[in-house]
Amino acid sequence: MCHQTVSLAARHLEAHGIPTVVLGCAKDIVEYVGVPRFLFSDFPLGNPGGRPKDPASQDFTLDLALRLLEGAPAPRTTVQSPLRWSEEASWKLDYSNVDRLSPEEIARRRDEFDRQKEIAREIKQNEAE
Amino acid sequence: MESTEAGPFAAPDYDVPIPYRQRISSYYQALGYGSPYEWAHYAEVPFAPLKKPIAESRVALVTTAAPYQPGKGEQGPGAPYNAAPKFFKVFSGDTAGDHDLRIAHIAYDRVHTTAEDSNTWFPLPALRRAAASGRIGEMAPRFHGAPTNRSHRVTLDQDCPDILARCREDQVDAVILLAV
Repeated sequence: MCHQTVSLAARHLEAHGIPTVVLGCAKDIVEYVGVPRFLFSDFPLGNPGGRPKDPASQDFTLDLALRLLEGAPAPRTTVQSPLRWSEEASWKLDYSNVDRLSPEEIARRRDEFDRQKEIAREIKQNEAE
Repeated sequence: MESTEAGPFAAPDYDVPIPYRQRISSYYQALGYGSPYEWAHYAEVPFAPLKKPIAESRVALVTTAAPYQPGKGEQGPGAPYNAAPKFFKVFSGDTAGDHDLRIAHIAYDRVHTTAEDSNTWFPLPALRRAAASGRIGEMAPRFHGAPTNRSHRVTLDQDCPDILARCREDQVDAVILLAV
């Protein structure tokens, strides 16, 4: 949802004259929504601003984003950061991959999902009051 | 056996950006939730060029991270998914100060990363360094937190105008948005 939310916000700002750049790790979601400028880091979700505990990688990532703001020639410009999460790419096989979950684990996650959804519903209700 | 036809730098077929929409859709179907989520999708994309050099521009940050809220369950590195710190209204913070923003309310990749460094989702210190070195003109006086709502309608009708109004109030020239 985060990638969709900020993509929609970027579009809205841009439509009202404010240039934007989205930093994210879910390429398909951002590009499916459609944004003016997108810096894609091919990292596990949670690291749009660079590698954890690595200020050089974070500065590099921010600088790429600024260069994209300066230089994108047209909307839907995506730049993929040259940084790699690890030499090995097998981490990409794990996220929400049902083929890697047992029926027991799926049942457990369903119960947990329902529980968390209820918590979120209550917060929404309280904030609205 | 791995094919070597493409040469020594060939990557395995799964070494591509993760197809999240497909993964998430299959995942929730397996969990028993029927109709797949309809993601926002547009053919047209707006575009507004920078009006002045970035070294003279006032730049704002927008993130989907949430302020740390003691008493609302685990929110530290590696904490399991926790909806309790979620928020449903845009918030702003003073960029002159430091802020403890966390992502335990977000479905980030808990297998391969641990949310131990907020700079990866809220790079305020990096933006501060960019302002100090003259790479950008200045930081906007406030950053903004965007609620992650399942409903695009709510995001479009409520949160997007709210973020725009705050950015206009602060007279920002460009915005960097981080999707966690």
